[in-house]
Amino acid sequence: MSLQQTKNCITLRGSAQIICEYLKFSINSVLFQRGLYPPETFKAENQYGITLLLSEDPQIKSFLTNLLTQSEEWILDKKVKKLSLIILNVANKEVLECWDFNIQYEDGDTALSKEKNEMVGSKDLKKIQQEIRDVMLQVAATISYLPLLDCRCSFDVLVHAKTDCDIPEKWAEAQPVAIANAQNVQLKSFSTSLHKMETVVSYKLAD
Amino acid sequence: MINREYKLNVSQYKKMAKESDMSLYSDVLEPFRRVINTEPPKDKLSASTNLNFSDSTQSIKEGLSNLLTFGKRKSSIGSVDDVTPDKRLRRDSSGNGTTAPPSPWETKRLKIDLIAAKAQITKLESRVNHQHTIRKEMQILFEEEKASLIEQHKRDERAVSDMEDRLQLIRRREQELKDEFNTAAKEHKDLKANWDKEKTDLHKQIADLKDKLLEANVSNKDQISEMKKDMDELLQALEGAQSEVEMLKKELVKQTSRAEQCTQLKNQLEKQNFEFQQVTSKLKELEYERDSYKDWQTQSKTAQKRLCNMAELEKEVTRLRANERSLRDAICNKLLLEEQVHQLTSRVEALQPVQLELHEAKVKLSSVESQLESWMSAARAHGVESAGALRDALESALGAQITATADSTQAQSALAHLTEEVATLKYERDKATGKLNDLTTVRKNQESLIHRLQKRLLLVTRERDSYRQQLDCYEKELTVTLCGEEGAGSVALLSARVQQLEKSLQGYRDLIAAHDPHAHSKALESLRNEVTRWREEAEGARRDVTKLRTQRDLLTASLERIGPQTKVLHLTNNPAAEAQKQISKELEAAQEEIKKLKVALREGGAQADPEELQQMRQQLENSRIKLKRMKEEFTSSAQEYRDVCYMLLGYKIDRTGHKNYRISNMYAESSEEYLTFTLCDDGIEMVHTDYSETLGDLLDLHLHQHQSIPLFLSALTMELFTKTTIQHAIE
Repeated sequence: MSLQQTKNCITLRGSAQIICEYLKFSINSVLFQRGLYPPETFKAENQYGITLLLSEDPQIKSFLTNLLTQSEEWILDKKVKKLSLIILNVANKEVLECWDFNIQYEDGDTALSKEKNEMVGSKDLKKIQQEIRDVMLQVAATISYLPLLDCRCSFDVLVHAKTDCDIPEKWAEAQPVAIANAQNVQLKSFSTSLHKMETVVSYKLAD
Repeated sequence: MINREYKLNVSQYKKMAKESDMSLYSDVLEPFRRVINTEPPKDKLSASTNLNFSDSTQSIKEGLSNLLTFGKRKSSIGSVDDVTPDKRLRRDSSGNGTTAPPSPWETKRLKIDLIAAKAQITKLESRVNHQHTIRKEMQILFEEEKASLIEQHKRDERAVSDMEDRLQLIRRREQELKDEFNTAAKEHKDLKANWDKEKTDLHKQIADLKDKLLEANVSNKDQISEMKKDMDELLQALEGAQSEVEMLKKELVKQTSRAEQCTQLKNQLEKQNFEFQQVTSKLKELEYERDSYKDWQTQSKTAQKRLCNMAELEKEVTRLRANERSLRDAICNKLLLEEQVHQLTSRVEALQPVQLELHEAKVKLSSVESQLESWMSAARAHGVESAGALRDALESALGAQITATADSTQAQSALAHLTEEVATLKYERDKATGKLNDLTTVRKNQESLIHRLQKRLLLVTRERDSYRQQLDCYEKELTVTLCGEEGAGSVALLSARVQQLEKSLQGYRDLIAAHDPHAHSKALESLRNEVTRWREEAEGARRDVTKLRTQRDLLTASLERIGPQTKVLHLTNNPAAEAQKQISKELEAAQEEIKKLKVALREGGAQADPEELQQMRQQLENSRIKLKRMKEEFTSSAQEYRDVCYMLLGYKIDRTGHKNYRISNMYAESSEEYLTFTLCDDGIEMVHTDYSETLGDLLDLHLHQHQSIPLFLSALTMELFTKTTIQHAIE
């Protein structure tokens, strides 16, 4: 972890990196838990004190690195409001599930920021990781109540950015998605004292 | 370059030399300088100016400037040598001036000295300046020189490094070359060794070859001598053969002459044969003529005999004619008779049905008679003798029957009537039972009511009793109070009253308990009502929830639209898009395949794969040819096998039908002589034939005694062979 930390001092970039790392692991975890890709393409990795699974599929890997490097820049510029991981039926493009990752920007430790002449937070890294672990465990537990995905599914990640944000190469504007008759479940949130991450899963309520 | 360096060195050396000179001077001047340093400001000023000046210049040049100043000082020292004591004197005098004023000569002299000194000072200063300028120029020159030299040095260094690199390169190359050389030398050595080896081998080979050559020469010589011997022999043989040939030629000539004679004889013989044949044909013709002549003779003889018998014949003719007439009459009669027969047969045919009818009538008659008999007997049994009496009896019986039937109809109607009545009665009974049931239920209700009322009554009576008791106790109280308020009985009274009150309380409680079930049922009902009400409410609430949810969705959607404006961005090559692309591709591919397959289906499976078909045909043709060849091979080998069997064993074996074999011997006299065998489960059996019956002895001996078919067969061949040979011998 390339976190610049001296006496619990988290810089803006370090915080953005934590957020992006969380996004990487949570997206992979969802892909594994929801059975979008065969389980043998995932490799176990120890992170946040628990075993998490990362996809070995080169396509998914490249997609996520592209997504997260760009997202990190946007988070640094405070241009992203939320990221939505949508799971849709390939046959009819119907959105079956939506994982919203809401990002809120916080002030951090103002006194320390003034001292350092830079926006910094002073939260303990271990505490942040503890919070993230709780969220990851909740994500893993969602499988007990989320409906079964019994069709060929794929996923996409939509970035809800501010309107003044430029569209970089390889990116395009998409339509916002909405799930009719949706059930929302708010998972635990965590904060790096600079960014607060709320995870919400909404799914189509079974008739 | 070296030249320049040398120059530089020279100049440096010069400088050094100067410096050393200067140091010498400075050593000399050291005491004076001490004096000057201790001395007052004038000299100090100059020194200070000099020092200042030197300070402004570069530190490296400091020494040089100092030297210059020393030089100057030295020069000045030389000139001022004798002045300084004066000065000291003057100072001393100036220090003492207040005490003794100087004389005019002295002053004049002093003035002159002063002027001279001043002039000298100015001169010296100008010189100093000049020296300075020179020094500066020198300095500049030196610096330029130095810079150039440094550059030169750098270049040299670079060149040196380049050279070193090159040297290293060369060394490396040299090393490589050495290595190469070594390897080459090694190779050379190896090759040399190899070549030496090869050479020795080759030498050995050469020696071997030479030996071989020698051996070959020797053997050749031997062979040649042998061959020569052979040739001589052959030549001798040839000569013998030639002589023989000559002899044979002579013989040939003789033989040819003989042959000519033979051919002449042959021709003569042929001619004779031809003549002989002609003669024989003529003879045959003549014989034929003779035979026909003999026939004619016999015929003429018979004709003569017939002529002799003419009269008899005429008699016979008449007799035969009469015969003929009689026969013709007979024929006429026969025709008539035939006609009659025909008529009769037709009649018979016509009469046959009549006869049948007659038979039937006879049968009927017999049956009727039997019936009549039965009737008669029946009548007799009833005591009626005549037909009329029978009729009367019958009529009376019929009348009786009629009346009976009328009676029966009446009875039936009465029965129907009765059944109707029964049905109505049944209906009424059912009604009555229904009423009875109703009444019983009513009675039960009444009973329950009565029971309840009785309970009520009981309660009411109890109540009444309690009231009465109360009344009594009130009365008692009243009496007590009226009797006077003596405290003695008051406590007992009160206790009694308390007891009474407790009793009444108990009664109330009982009452309440009695009333309880009623209330309970009521409560239950109310609760049920409540439950239904709540259920309805829940239903309503659920409906509300669904409504609210849809509303919430709408509102969230609108909120997202209205709220903080955001752009939704995503990567163009996201997994979902790729998956969709893949699916569409798969779909297209599948559709194309379907089209292809459909087209193929329409064209027909046979045309779909002409190459394969061609291949298959070729294969079929090949296999046919193979089969044919195999058959040919089989037949030929079978034939060969049969021939070999025939030649070796002397029997020709033919298969005639299933498990039947016919064998005929090589020495058999005719094709009729054959034996037949059949293959059984437990061996082979001989079947009797015409030929086998003629071989009784052999059969007895070999089959019945020895029980060996091969022995029998070989014995037969032996016998036949001996027979044929004997025949030949006889011939």
